[in-house]
Amino acid sequence: MSKVLFVEPEKCTGCRSCELICSFIHAGEFNPLRSRISIIAFEKTGFSFPAVCQQCSVAACMEVCPVGAISVDEATGAKIVNHAVCLRCKMCTIACPFGATFYDADHDLIIKCDLCGGDPECVKHCPSGAISYREAKTANYNKRRANAEKFREVMEEGR
Amino acid sequence: MKITVNGQEREAHAGESILDLCRREGIPIPTFCYHQAFGGQGACRMCMVEIKEDGQSRSRLVAACTYPLTKTAEIITESEQIQRIRRTIVMLLARRAGENPLLEELSRAYGAAHLPAITVEPANCILCGLCIHACAEMGRSAIWSMFRGVDKRIATPYDEASDDCMGCAACARVCPTQAIKVEEEDAVRKIWNKTFALVSCSRCGKYYATREELEYLSKHGDFGQQQLCETCRKKNLAYNIKTFQQ
Repeated sequence: MSKVLFVEPEKCTGCRSCELICSFIHAGEFNPLRSRISIIAFEKTGFSFPAVCQQCSVAACMEVCPVGAISVDEATGAKIVNHAVCLRCKMCTIACPFGATFYDADHDLIIKCDLCGGDPECVKHCPSGAISYREAKTANYNKRRANAEKFREVMEEGR
Repeated sequence: MKITVNGQEREAHAGESILDLCRREGIPIPTFCYHQAFGGQGACRMCMVEIKEDGQSRSRLVAACTYPLTKTAEIITESEQIQRIRRTIVMLLARRAGENPLLEELSRAYGAAHLPAITVEPANCILCGLCIHACAEMGRSAIWSMFRGVDKRIATPYDEASDDCMGCAACARVCPTQAIKVEEEDAVRKIWNKTFALVSCSRCGKYYATREELEYLSKHGDFGQQQLCETCRKKNLAYNIKTFQQ
């Protein structure tokens, strides 16, 4: 059963704890610039969105890689960069439609979310539960429920 | 297949190179021209090891990166003879790239004699050929080795701006001695005598790729590119979700 990193922006407070823990775990320092996940905050409306790799089934980064340096982790389904094979041509960073694969110029590395090998740290440190790691099939059950709730309201109003 | 490396027994797959076995087993062998993406080239000879295969009476020297293991063998990766070969290679390469930190460090480590520097073009190039392979892997082959003997160097045809070069600079990033110069300023990237006008992000105006790179990508499939830089692609996604939710 495959699990997904599921984000609920309506729960996100924009505290950026995920950015800090991600960079700490992967790069050994608290540096949002080296985090695989980033918070896009709309200050005026108070809306924050945790932007992270979607681990697409047909992944643009993987498709364009000329040397096959990006592969699928069998256990998690995450797309993993093999730095020893990677040429740093940066095609994946231009190809990713979500801007989730990028180049760390200071350390000469292509970096992207690897789901921490199946135990994402950002999930553990998100104080509001905006990021969760769950079964793909049931992940959006609450959304369906909320939609059904809206229907019920409309239908009752119609009576 | 049983292979003895420095007296310890290891298990090798038939046909794999000595270097692949040693890298997997964590046995250090120095290399210049090896890259996991291309495999061995046998160009720099830095990875020389001693091998004595089944049925042979004496050991001989081979390049670990290109030598396939086909039968039981004994391998030695460090010996006085190997050390001498590596010292000579480092000594000769240091003439071409003496000021490069990698060669400086290796010269010290191997105690290589200091010889007067020679001028090479591009400066610090040790002719390992990794850039040529990188360019070929990108499907461009814009650079190749030119001339022979002491005049041999890496260049585009006739040193002119090549139509095949797309300015991705993968050649520069695989170079072990940082010999390939990439100049990037404002809207322009210069590499291999070619000047590229960079494409700017339609939202924030940041220059993020060359036109040729975008053409290369569009040939590899449609991923819904919108002429946005990485940050603005994230913002765009966030904005779309925000509008959808409200």
